[in-house]
Order: sequence, then structure tokens, then C-alpha cells
Amino acid sequence: MVGFVGKRVLHGLVSIVGASILIFVISRLSGDPIVLMLPVEAPPHVIEAMRRNLGLDLPLWRQYLIFAGHALTGDFGMSYRWQTPALDLVLDRLPATIELAVAGLVFSVCLAVPLGVLSAVHRGSWIDTVGKGFAMLGQAMPGFWVGLLLILVFSIRLNWLPAFGHGGISHLIMPAIALGWYPVAAQTRIVRSAMLDVLESDYIRMGRALGAPERVLVWKYAFRNAAVPLVTMLGVYFASMLGGAFVIEVIFAWPGLGRTVVEAVFSRDFPVVQAGVLFTSILFVTCNLLVDLSYGLIDPRIRRDG
Amino acid sequence: MLRMRAHALAAVTLAGMTAPALAQDAKGSLTVAFAAEGTVLDPAKYSAGVDHYFIGQMYEQLVRPGLNLEPTNWLAESWKVTDPETKPVLEVALRKGVTFHNGDPLTSEDFEFAYQRLRDPKVSRWSHLQANVERFEIVDDHTFRIHFKEPDGDYIAQWLQLWAVPKKYFERVGEEGFTKAPVGTGPWKYVSRSVKEELKLEAYDGYWNKQHRPKVKNLTIKIIPEDLTRVAAFKTGAVDWIDGVPPSMVEEFKTLPGVKTLSVVSGNNLYIDFPSYKPDSPFNKVKVRQAVAHAVDMDAIIKTVLFGQGERYAEVGKGATGYDPDLKPYPYDVRKARELLREAGYPSGFETPCYNLTTPREPNVKEMGEAVFAYLGAVGIRCRVQGLEYGAWINLGRRGRSGPPEMDGVLSWMWSQNLPGDPATPWGGHLHSFVAGKGWGSYSYTADEKADAMVEQLKSTMVPEKRVALIKEIARYKRDNVLGGWTTYRPVITLAWRDKVEFTPWAYPGYWRGFQEIGLKQ
Repeated sequence: MVGFVGKRVLHGLVSIVGASILIFVISRLSGDPIVLMLPVEAPPHVIEAMRRNLGLDLPLWRQYLIFAGHALTGDFGMSYRWQTPALDLVLDRLPATIELAVAGLVFSVCLAVPLGVLSAVHRGSWIDTVGKGFAMLGQAMPGFWVGLLLILVFSIRLNWLPAFGHGGISHLIMPAIALGWYPVAAQTRIVRSAMLDVLESDYIRMGRALGAPERVLVWKYAFRNAAVPLVTMLGVYFASMLGGAFVIEVIFAWPGLGRTVVEAVFSRDFPVVQAGVLFTSILFVTCNLLVDLSYGLIDPRIRRDG
Repeated sequence: MLRMRAHALAAVTLAGMTAPALAQDAKGSLTVAFAAEGTVLDPAKYSAGVDHYFIGQMYEQLVRPGLNLEPTNWLAESWKVTDPETKPVLEVALRKGVTFHNGDPLTSEDFEFAYQRLRDPKVSRWSHLQANVERFEIVDDHTFRIHFKEPDGDYIAQWLQLWAVPKKYFERVGEEGFTKAPVGTGPWKYVSRSVKEELKLEAYDGYWNKQHRPKVKNLTIKIIPEDLTRVAAFKTGAVDWIDGVPPSMVEEFKTLPGVKTLSVVSGNNLYIDFPSYKPDSPFNKVKVRQAVAHAVDMDAIIKTVLFGQGERYAEVGKGATGYDPDLKPYPYDVRKARELLREAGYPSGFETPCYNLTTPREPNVKEMGEAVFAYLGAVGIRCRVQGLEYGAWINLGRRGRSGPPEMDGVLSWMWSQNLPGDPATPWGGHLHSFVAGKGWGSYSYTADEKADAMVEQLKSTMVPEKRVALIKEIARYKRDNVLGGWTTYRPVITLAWRDKVEFTPWAYPGYWRGFQEIGLKQ
């Protein structure tokens, strides 16, 4: 087990270093940040002085080594735009995005699991049709549109929920639904097809023959095995929610990291982009590691084999 | 030896500015929402117009536009320029009795400190604007002089540039401490900030201007970038004041019961530029440029594409120094445009790249550019349209950089700011020809010797009355020859507030978002 974890951690570290190099290079391909930092009428000598001050006149490999050296000590440099430490900005915004992503994931799983299981158990019935229809709707309605509809109905028409901002549970409900909406469809399909496989397996038939209650068979024995592919995907979904929360954050004025990083991309604020992407990568790798470790808890056969 | 000539200028004190306390104690709380967020809370570090949204609430300048956009002495009780045509000295007498939010009195030392920070390129992104200053002299606690190496009209045009920053406090808490707890002399003092979320302010009880001050105690500025969400927040009562009512909803807002709206021109000026400096470009010919100006029905674009949220102007807009009501934009005249093209040697027109900004820096700016290009096509100037995001767009427009791409066609552009200031700085950037290393024409695609000479003369003119006359002269020459691009319109922004709010809009700082006077009806 220790060897397994060690190997996964090593893989994760390599991924993080790779991500840092990739984002470092790609962000610099987007153009010169100085033109966005200084007023258009700034004379050339001022532009050059600024470039020197920021070390942007150095060869790319030297810029990366300096960045990596400082990053190891927790110094990601000063944001070009906000003129505050980039790490502070990222860490300040990260909890709000994690909160949103967790809520979105909880919403999607809470909806997808019963829908998927019921669709599989009642295959071909109206419940299955409703489940599949819901899954199709989920994929056809983008989150930003769902978000705007929710605001229209629950804020403007009914005045039940706040239209924007970060605060208590009431602020979280609509952004979480909008963010979790899209994955519901895919998760429902995963659960349904996995359940269909498991429900036709020998041990479930044997359970039925022995007179085990259907509810116990479905939820205790079948679902536990069928959950493995869903759990595998949860890490990916969570990570994609972290990265994809941007649109939802804009719509609901949610003060998260996604909005901060995307705006930093547009303003070529390299330190914020690098810090933001690196932390998202770390979260992504950590999620996947936790998913890998969780297999053993769900399916003892994997634990034995591992 | 140069004859020193005293020349007293502009020493007007706004009537009533020092009137006895009239305002009641501020009370209550108000929540407002902005579409965009300022980044820094330190006036020496501001980098874009949006930064004024917050800075303008907490800090103040020596001079500022008054309620009706007129230049008004603010922290300066009076000021004058001696020897303005050779080696000018700007002498400022500070208003007495002004204190910072921490209780420190405002003195000349604070402005000397502000000047030192503003000229330091490691602190400020506008250090080049101090290049003509030779030295800063403190005469006494409330008088200082700025000695110039040579005349610098930009200093006058930009409200004497300096913002009051408390030297003693800054030195005590350091740069980081100041960033976390900024202190100014403005009507609002800092309480807290959550980036991307909100700024909390509190009315400053010790504010010097007893007549023009907030009447509400607590102000929360929420940041809501999405138009429909901001509108929803207003309609549900979560906020009582918003900026940037979406153009398509302005008419609806005007009919909402219990809601007041105000449409005002923003601090941006838009224009269509072309490489008239290139001898081989069709736009080198004045008749082609005039054809462009006649070819586009800007009024129709404003009405249909911008939902009326734009104001046409000819070079200098209403409210700006040097505005000339007699100078009119080119009328829409397709026949005239085709005739001019024919006379210029292009009877069948020509093809050209046309660069459009796709990032919504102004409402519907992308659609506006597309409409302009379509009108040009109708007279024979056939556009190969290329959309650019903000970074690529600003890179394309800037001169003096090395490497491609080259701005070789029609460019939908804007010059930003200078409302209600005067146009000297932007004209130096795009009407004066590009001069490498000198700072002239940093985004200019024009080369005209007479325009260069006039812009340089404006730069060295520090007498306000002379500046006005010169601006009018340059504007007419610029308009007649379609130099520095063809000016199109200034965006109009609409503010909305519930009628329980008493709001008197003061333009700039903050381009109409400054809450100099706001309160709740009792």
C-alpha cells in the first residue's frame, strides 16, 4: 500500500511540474503583458524599464527557473494587475471555489445516483424514460443558461433566493445547481449503465433466489459495485468543476478563483495565472489520488489485488 | 538672464466650498453594485480608469471637475503658474483644516510624498508624467511649488495630477500596511474589502467639505459583472443603486416605478483609425478619409445597435475643455462618400483589413464595429474583418513595438479618459505622429507636420485660456482633415437608483461613480 501511494504521489508531482512548465510557456505565448499594464501613451523607455523590473527581458528558461525557485518558497510574485502577492490573491479566492465545487458535486451526485439507479432498476418503464430525458436535458442546457433561468424564477419572480454573492446556504443553492447541472446527465448515465451490468450478474440473481429483499440487493450489493466507475469519475468532475466554475462565478458574482484566473489570463497577469493553475493542478492531483485510494474501500477485491 | 514674469492664473475658489456645517450626521446603510472593479486602492499605483472607481471615493486631488464639470479647486485653495512660457513654477496654496481619515492634518509634506511616489517607476505606472518636473519645493505647511524644466500643459489638463496621501501614516505602517488599510482625505474611509466581492466604506465624520458630503453612514459596493444578475439584484432590492444598466433595458428602467435613472457620457472616446501615415495606403489621401466619415450613418448605429446609448461628437465632446458647439460631425452622405472615393482614384473602391475589438470594453462595441465596417462596404471600402480580444487589439494599436502584426487597415479604437479634462494627452498619443523614443504618437497612425506642431504647442501651453483657444483650433484642423482617425461617438452609461436614495452625480473621479453626495431619504 505504501509503495502504491508513493508511486501515485510521485506521478502527481511530475504532473504538477509538467503543468507548471506548460502554463508558464503557454501564458507567455499569449503576448506581452506590458502593453496592458502601462498607459498607451507610455514612452518606450518606460516600457523597457518595466520589462526589466519584472524580469520579462530574460530568456524564458531563466524566467522559469527563477519562478520555480521562488515558488518552492511560496513566493509566486506580485500580481501585475492587482499589485499584491499573487499567492495571497489565489489563496484568498480558493475556498469560495472549493465551496462551490463541493456543493455542485454534492448536488449532481445526490440527483444522479437515485436517477441512475431507478432508471436501471425500472429499465424501459416511464421512470427510465424520465431519467433518460432528464439526462438529455442536462447535457442540452448549459450551466450559464440554467443559472440565468434560476435567477429569473427564484430571485426575480419568487424572491426566494439571493441573485448574487457569497454568504450563507441561500447564496449557495442556485450556483451549486447551475454548476452541478451538466454533470448530472453524465453521472446518471454512468450509474444507470453500471447498475444494469451489475443487476444482471450472478451474485445478484443468487441473492434474489435466496429471497433477499430487492431494496437491499439494489442499494447494498449492486450499487456498491456499480459505484466504482462513478467514484472514478468524481475526481475528474470535481476538478473540472474547479476549473469550469468561471462562468457560474461570473453569473452569480461569486468571488472565486475561476473568475480571478480567467480575468488574469485576459490581462496577462502571469503570476496570478501561474499560481492559480498550479493550485488547481495540486487539487486535481490530490483528488485523483484520493479516488485511487478510495477504490479499496468500495471494492475489497481491488484492495486485495493492490 | 530670463526675465521672471509673474503670471497669476486660475485661482478660483468654489463658492460655498468652505460653508459652515450644513449636513446632518450621516446615518443608515446603502448597498450599491458596480459592473467592474478597481484593482488597487493606492492612487500612486492606479493603472486604468477603472481604478478610479474606488480611489475616487477615498482620495482627493488638488483640482477636480465640479458638479457641472467645471474645473474646481478642491484640496487646492488656489493655484497659479508663474513664468508659464519658459520655466514655469506651479504654486499651490492648500486648503486649511483638511484631515486624513486617521486624523493627521493635510500638509505640503504629504503632497511632496505623493509626488515622490508618483515619479518612482517602481511604484507608479505614470512616472513619465513627472518627467518635466525639476523639483518640488515646500514653502510652508500649506504652500508648495513645483518647478518645471519646461512648460507642461498636461499637468494642468490632468488636474495637477497629485492625490493626497498621508506621509506620516504611510511611513509608520509601510507599503503593505497602507495597502491593507488605506487612508485618504475623501468623503469615504476604508472599512474592508473582499476582492471580486465588495468594498465597504464608512462616511468620514471629519470630512472637510461640509456642504458636499455623504448623508449615509455605511456604503457597500458590490461587484456584479454580469448585466442580468446586476439588474436582478436591483429589481429584488438587494442593491439600491447600479451602474451600467444594459443598453437594451434602459427604456424599461425609465418606466419602472420608484426608480430614477440618469444617462451620462462615459469617460471614453471612440474612433475609427487608419494608417494615413503610410504613403502607399489609400487612407493617406484626405478624400478617402473624408469618404469614410461620410459613409457611415453613426446616428443610426447609435439608435439601433447601441439602443441610443451613445453621443456623437466632433473631436471634443460636450463638457470637455475646448468643446466647440459650432464644430459638427460629418453628415451621413453615401453619394458624397462615393464621389470622394472616385476623386481620390478609387472609383471601384478597394479592399482592406478591418480590425474589430471583440472584448466588451464598452457596451456593444463589437457590434458597433461590425456595423461601421458594413457601411464602409456599401460605398466600396470592402472589409476583411478580423476580430481581436483586448490584449491582441491593444498590441496591434500600439506603435514602436517590434514584429508583426502590422496595423494596415481600418481599426476600431478608443482613446480613453479625458472626460471632462482636455484632449492634450490623447492627441499626443494618436494625432501627433509617432516619434520613436520621444513618447509622441505611441498609438498614432497619422503623420502631419502641422498637427504635430499644434499638439506640441498645446503640450507647452500652461495658460488655461490659451489652451482652450488652441484646442478649438486643433479640433477643427483634425476634423477637416480627418486626422488621428475619424471620431465616432462617446458611450453613454445609465445609472439607476431607487427613489429612496438621494443621489447627486458628480463626474470624475470615478467617471460618474463617485459618491460625493449620496444619502437615504428620511
